[in-house]
Amino acid sequence: MSPKIWQGRRGLVAVRGGHHWRAVWPVLLAAALGLVLLLAGCGSSSQPGEKGGSGEGQAAAKAGELVLAIGGEPDAGFDPTTGWGRYGSPLFQSTLLARDNDLNIVKDLATDYQVSPDGLTWTVKIRTDARFSDGKPLTAADVAYTYETAAKSGSVVDLSVLAGVQALDEHTVQFKLKQPRSTFVNLLITLGIVPKHAHGGDYAKNPVGSGPYKLVQWDKGQQLIVEPNPYYYGSRPAFKKVTFLFLSEDAAFAAARAGQVDVAAVPHMFAKQSVPGMRLVAVKSVDNRGIMFPTVPSGQKTKDGRPVGNDVTADPAVRRAINLAVDRQTLVNTVLEGQGRPAYTVCDNLPWWNPQTVIQDADVEGAKKVLAAAGWQDKDGDGVLEKGSLEARFTLVYPAGDSTRQSLAMAVRDMVKPLGIDITVEGKSWDDIKQLMHANAVLFGWGSHDPLEMYNLFHSKNRGVEWFNPGFYNNPAVDKYLDQALQATDPAQANKYWQLAQWDGRTGLSALGDAPWAWLVNINHCYFVRENLDTGKNRIEPHGHGWPITANIVEWRRK
Amino acid sequence: MNHYAFWSRFIAGRAARLVVLLAAVSVFLFWLVCHSPIDPVQAYVGADMLRVSPEQRQQIAARWGLYDPPPVRFARWAGALLQGDLGTSLIFRRPVAEVIKERFLASLALMGTAWLISGLLGFGLGVWAGYRRGSAVDRAVKWYCLTLAATPAFWLGLLLMMVFSVWLQLTPIGLAAPPGQLAAQVTFGQRLHHLLLPALTLSIVGVANIALHTRQKLLEVMESDYWLFALARGERGFALLRRHGLRNIALPAISLQFAQFSELFGGSILAEQIFSYPGLGQATVQAGLRGDVPLLLGIALFSALFVYAGNLAADIIYALVDPRLKAVRA
Repeated sequence: MSPKIWQGRRGLVAVRGGHHWRAVWPVLLAAALGLVLLLAGCGSSSQPGEKGGSGEGQAAAKAGELVLAIGGEPDAGFDPTTGWGRYGSPLFQSTLLARDNDLNIVKDLATDYQVSPDGLTWTVKIRTDARFSDGKPLTAADVAYTYETAAKSGSVVDLSVLAGVQALDEHTVQFKLKQPRSTFVNLLITLGIVPKHAHGGDYAKNPVGSGPYKLVQWDKGQQLIVEPNPYYYGSRPAFKKVTFLFLSEDAAFAAARAGQVDVAAVPHMFAKQSVPGMRLVAVKSVDNRGIMFPTVPSGQKTKDGRPVGNDVTADPAVRRAINLAVDRQTLVNTVLEGQGRPAYTVCDNLPWWNPQTVIQDADVEGAKKVLAAAGWQDKDGDGVLEKGSLEARFTLVYPAGDSTRQSLAMAVRDMVKPLGIDITVEGKSWDDIKQLMHANAVLFGWGSHDPLEMYNLFHSKNRGVEWFNPGFYNNPAVDKYLDQALQATDPAQANKYWQLAQWDGRTGLSALGDAPWAWLVNINHCYFVRENLDTGKNRIEPHGHGWPITANIVEWRRK
Repeated sequence: MNHYAFWSRFIAGRAARLVVLLAAVSVFLFWLVCHSPIDPVQAYVGADMLRVSPEQRQQIAARWGLYDPPPVRFARWAGALLQGDLGTSLIFRRPVAEVIKERFLASLALMGTAWLISGLLGFGLGVWAGYRRGSAVDRAVKWYCLTLAATPAFWLGLLLMMVFSVWLQLTPIGLAAPPGQLAAQVTFGQRLHHLLLPALTLSIVGVANIALHTRQKLLEVMESDYWLFALARGERGFALLRRHGLRNIALPAISLQFAQFSELFGGSILAEQIFSYPGLGQATVQAGLRGDVPLLLGIALFSALFVYAGNLAADIIYALVDPRLKAVRA
């Protein structure tokens, strides 16, 4: 900075003096300082804190209370018929079925359910002792009402397969489907039941349900305070008050450092930090990242003119070689700083996963052999393979602004370079990616507790439909397994078909088969948890942060 | 000119301008939204994209009336607007007017406090620095202002949070009330306590503008003939400043202060994000990121109105403080 600016312009008259003025400022400053101290003192003196700091540190430490900063405020409120609860337990409501900590399907409101042999009629018996938090009993009519309302709501709850629902008697409800659909069971697992008598315009703000907790106060944009539902039929939660703070990730971490929360969800980059009085809980997830390849040669266009196909990635040898050459554990160790595990499919370790799909990776020599066998050679010596006039070059796009995906894309580029495959990495907006995704490789991320995801990603019926199968993957054998999985009437049987679709010994949608994707990593979901809090057995979490960790909140205890 | 005639013409003129402004803003905004690349259905579905079938997408779009051509949608929206209905927010699933009212009331305390502090402090510092031109005080104020003018508000906010909330544990991490406390039990002191850091962040940055302009204006005054004349007559100190300085520099400061309304609005978006303060700024960010068109339009209209009100207030105060302006401005 130049001295001119520092000194300012010298005026005509040098001004000095102003005694009153001088006397006033120290007084004002002292007053301001005093006010600040007074306000700061206000908080700590009214509620003496455990550590002598802000009074709010103490709220988190109260024995029967819990303060969580796990993010994910549901802006639209707590109405399951418009989407609340679809990532985990709906907290205020209960569902017909549920998943246990090992993701097995267990009964919740339902005491029994049967699927007709044609897969079109689902009959569910419900328990007789369920009551809503206002004391009124929950009946089959409430269930039918919930599904009818959700189907009409035009929300993210997709019930388009439902033809109709009917309460046969007080405690029996019957669903009619348009087609057989084994994944319908996931709607029974996620859709919370609302009371017909108390489901009005204000319901999302004041939910009444049969779940373990009832809403006490929701300060929008800030926090949610809940208490146990006295009429809950299950085991009683250990905490008489739970507060969910809706903080940004930075603020949640700051709150953890300041001792103001019991659980704080943080991005995996924060995991190597330490927080006094808290331990890091890294929960396994199927929050995966992988590379989608276009599987058809170029030349076609979609109806709205987007280019389809890529001559290089259309060659299965290229896709298999990349799958073999990538060192997944190194990606986990470097890009994720250890917070994750290698990924081989869209559904690693879920009940419908085929464990055979785990391949021996970081195998550059093996990858070279695959490429050579398919006729790829570097004749002109420029380090990039050719097959006829085609060079092994393609573009991999990732959403700009996502640093994890950017690092993954660049690391993969470097890992396949020794093979003679030249990848150009480009960051784009999602809107641009939508235009490019049929003709370029894309770094996507998925992972759901609903196998319908696999069907949508890999069934040839979904080629170019929305985001479902952008690579135009098509394998009739896989299609057949996927259809059989969807039409199965028994979850175990459905799982068998989902597994066969991944690899049946000869073909499949995994890297052992057609390798339409190169799955890379599953990212751990990281939480700082107070030392004395036991969060039970954490289940493998789906894509997206926040509520899934509360799925077993009834089991949480102070140690 | 007669007093009543002046004010009635003034009000009528301003009202007409406001109507034209709002109409123009509405049309422009709607045009922008129609040409934005955001697909509102996709923005709403978000991470659920593999669980929502194409049929369901159609149902969502139909429910929101997205299939009609833009002029039809504009007519429907504007027609409802004229009846006072701003539509329904897609992400909050509640009337837009209700969301704005609720969020603005929360922001009001924050913006009002920051506005007052930055105005008073900025004016005071500007006068002090200008009057003691070239002194250590002047240099300190200028250093402070130039540094802060180059400081992003969100960075300053994070810094304050690290120091006061995490290290010293004097202030809360964020939010507008203590976690877990029922609304009825939150005391006035607690509310102030939670307001402290966000308001401080906003006002620390807001000070720079006012202080530097005020200082510059005072320097001009101090070079004027009437200031020299007053000095020659032996006037000194605060009396001199009060009689010949303050009134002359008050006007630009007032107009600047009210023109700050737009910056205040922008600044509060950042401050609210950092401190998880549940105001309009937070809602704006969400509406933008998630393509909530009705809410975005509502907030944009409201902010136009808000900034207009600031400028109008400045004009009215001008006319009251300096009667000479009546003749010119009417």
